[in-house]
Amino acid sequence: MKKKALSLLLASTMVISLTACGGGGDNASSSSSNNSNDAAASNSSSNDAASGDTAASNDAAGDTASGEKPDYHEVLKDGITVVVNGTLTASVDNGQADFEKQWEEAVGIDLTIQQLDHSGYTDAVGRLFASQDYPDAMIMSAEMFKQYAPTGLLWDMADAYANAEFQSRITLPAINENMKDAEGHLYAFAPAYGNGCVTYVKKAWLDAVGINIDDVKTYDDYYNMLKAFHDGDPDGNGVDGDTYGVVAAGFIGTEAPWINYLPEFWQDAFPAIYQKEDGSWVDGFQEDATKEALLRMQQAYKDGAIDPETLTASTKIAREKWFSNDQKGSSGVFTYWAGTWYRTLTDNLIKNEVNEELVQLPPIQEIKNSVGGYLNREAPVWVIIDQGDPVHNQAVFDALLDTMLDGDVVQTLWVYGAEDVHWSTKAEEFTTNPGTDKAQDYSYEEGVFHLKPSPNDPNTVWKKNYIDPALAISPLTNGFNDQDELAAAGNKFFTENCVDAPATPVSETFTNESGTIHDAKMAVITAVVVDGGDVESAMQTYVDTVGSIIDQCLTELNAAQ
Amino acid sequence: MSKKKVVTSGGIEVREKPLGLRIWNNRGYYVMFLPVLIFLLIMHYWPMLGVRYAFYDYKPVGDKVFVGFDHFTKMFSTPAFWTAFWNTLQLSIANLVLTNVSAVVVSIFLNEMKNLFAKKTLQTVIYLPHFMSWAVVASIFSLFLSPSSTGMVNGLLRDWGILKEADKNIYFLASTTWWRPIYWFIQVWKETGWGTIIYLATLSGINPELYEAADIDGATRMQKIRFVTLPALTNTIITVLILNLAKVMNLFESVFVLYNNAVFEVSDVIATYIYRQTFAIALPNYGYSTAVGLFRSLVGCVLVLICNYASKRVRGRGIV
Repeated sequence: MKKKALSLLLASTMVISLTACGGGGDNASSSSSNNSNDAAASNSSSNDAASGDTAASNDAAGDTASGEKPDYHEVLKDGITVVVNGTLTASVDNGQADFEKQWEEAVGIDLTIQQLDHSGYTDAVGRLFASQDYPDAMIMSAEMFKQYAPTGLLWDMADAYANAEFQSRITLPAINENMKDAEGHLYAFAPAYGNGCVTYVKKAWLDAVGINIDDVKTYDDYYNMLKAFHDGDPDGNGVDGDTYGVVAAGFIGTEAPWINYLPEFWQDAFPAIYQKEDGSWVDGFQEDATKEALLRMQQAYKDGAIDPETLTASTKIAREKWFSNDQKGSSGVFTYWAGTWYRTLTDNLIKNEVNEELVQLPPIQEIKNSVGGYLNREAPVWVIIDQGDPVHNQAVFDALLDTMLDGDVVQTLWVYGAEDVHWSTKAEEFTTNPGTDKAQDYSYEEGVFHLKPSPNDPNTVWKKNYIDPALAISPLTNGFNDQDELAAAGNKFFTENCVDAPATPVSETFTNESGTIHDAKMAVITAVVVDGGDVESAMQTYVDTVGSIIDQCLTELNAAQ
Repeated sequence: MSKKKVVTSGGIEVREKPLGLRIWNNRGYYVMFLPVLIFLLIMHYWPMLGVRYAFYDYKPVGDKVFVGFDHFTKMFSTPAFWTAFWNTLQLSIANLVLTNVSAVVVSIFLNEMKNLFAKKTLQTVIYLPHFMSWAVVASIFSLFLSPSSTGMVNGLLRDWGILKEADKNIYFLASTTWWRPIYWFIQVWKETGWGTIIYLATLSGINPELYEAADIDGATRMQKIRFVTLPALTNTIITVLILNLAKVMNLFESVFVLYNNAVFEVSDVIATYIYRQTFAIALPNYGYSTAVGLFRSLVGCVLVLICNYASKRVRGRGIV
């Protein structure tokens, strides 16, 4: 009897624990739904209360609209859900709740942000869609967008874009106009242009090897600089040959525009499927320009001009090697993102007590004469998931995208973040790295717009939220500007020296086989650059492996022309 | 119709009770088993319904379209799949043999140690790597084996004169020649200690009289190992090998953190191939990934059956 009682007790405990698990989930979801209801309720009350500034901006939006637009407050009573990647720097531990709250107050509807892991964003989005868990809108890279555009999942926002309130303020209309397909459909919206990479050189290393950056004009000059960085002792540790010319996260990038981490070696080569001026699609990887680029890299790898870890380094590893405290094994040259990253790289050099002065290398002659400059990648975009209800889709556009470039309150949120969390206009003083020799004092008077210390790192001043102020296609009209001097100089340098990257192809076979094609390219690059193999035979292996797939892609792409 | 009869433990022949009555009499145990049964059904059997997608085009967007055996046809005609398949078998089986041989050797060595403190210390030291995550292990070895001037191994090779001044540093983890030996070395380093536990347990169960008898017969230490210790371990070695053989298709994490594009030819395994086909593409076809996964499961299932057969032959009883 005791055994039975014990077994019943155990069984009951297990059942209850299982029920508790399920119950917990239910409670969580109901709690979450309660929370969202509460939030919605509080929003609606705050909306009512915020009939001052908020209502004014909403009214303004309404007035500007054609008059036929539905009031998004009515349509989106339940709020909207957006999926974002790491480019929204106001992350959960970096003031996202405040950003969200202030956005809700300004726009007047409930906002739910689902921020997915940046590095696994593509597959996380795939899983969301596979489980039919669609947000109202989301961020996509240009490559992702090109693959999802023909699926019918995305809403055509061409009309909404044409009638948007921000149209009168747009300074770079071509960014979105160029995204329209042949029939004029616009399935995405880019609030900023794409940005690209420029080549940074450590000034101290140039001085150590006696090279003036102004004298680096051609590939030979560039290569001699790399060789000098490897053969000499630019880090001043008394050992020659323990440093490298350049480091990169791969000889070829993992996403378009592929060549932006080593542009001086690739020059006129574009090792991917691209569209020629006559409209035909070709595989640039099989072209002679690519073979010549591979031979340049082969020689550089052999000479130590390229850090050998370039083959396997991730962007994080390449960055950290470049600005590490111990400069042994580091490189003098690093081609990386322009603008804000100019400041970030400098900050990291300072943090690691390395001479922080960097110079930006203008595109070498071979690049200028062929491609024209550094490549400006296709912009990351916002897309609206087509819910089958044009009124709802239009309301999402009005609430999210139209307000994103309102030039005032909401745009400031997307550009700089939340008031009094990421930025402020109140008088204040603060010190970064207090008590150290890197301490820096900041002092602002009342009414002066300024950025505050980052919520999760008080020793670093906040830089931006989602939209880089220098890249926005429509400027802020409220005069708020606290762009870092270096970041501004970096953006100016890039815009003066860039050209648009070739468009990413859209073909069913390419979508299915892009991974296989990339693996085959990597096999060629490894065989030629690292193993010093013959470029023709390596290329033949590429053709044997994926030639038929490439042909199929080209057939589909050219047939669609 | 006469009821089935059973013989009790007391040797008395009685009529077997009806099934319902037997369940009622043991209801406590059945109720206790119920949560486990529900858990198994939900967590292990229900997801198996997903294997049907191996016969569909199943993308994150759009309808699922039945394509029959198309994915299998594509899979069998893809060289990368076969590379991954053979790599899986070669890497796994070599892992199995190497880690077991090293575990046996280390176990015997530990068993022969007389200094208890040294023995315990050594045991602790060799167990530790097992508890390190593969990501940490990969980071450590990537640093040691770096081809740049900061790489410790290349530095030592240069200091010892093995690498001449004109020689380039060896890129161990990006070399098709070196990747597998390095991978196996890391496996042995990480898992040997843990593998010794079961052998040490067996060794502690050997009757000391056998060693005393061997001493009386004038056996040397090596002869005692050869004629007493090893025969006592044989059954355990075979059991461990057989049980692990069924898991050879499950290789993923250790390869994933150590491989790179340059060495796919010798390192890509089925699980990493599936991973890339699923997660490295913006609009993946889950149907194809499922087909490859299903094939991997079938091969694993066949291996389990082979192991079961081998176990019956060797041990007189199966493992399932």
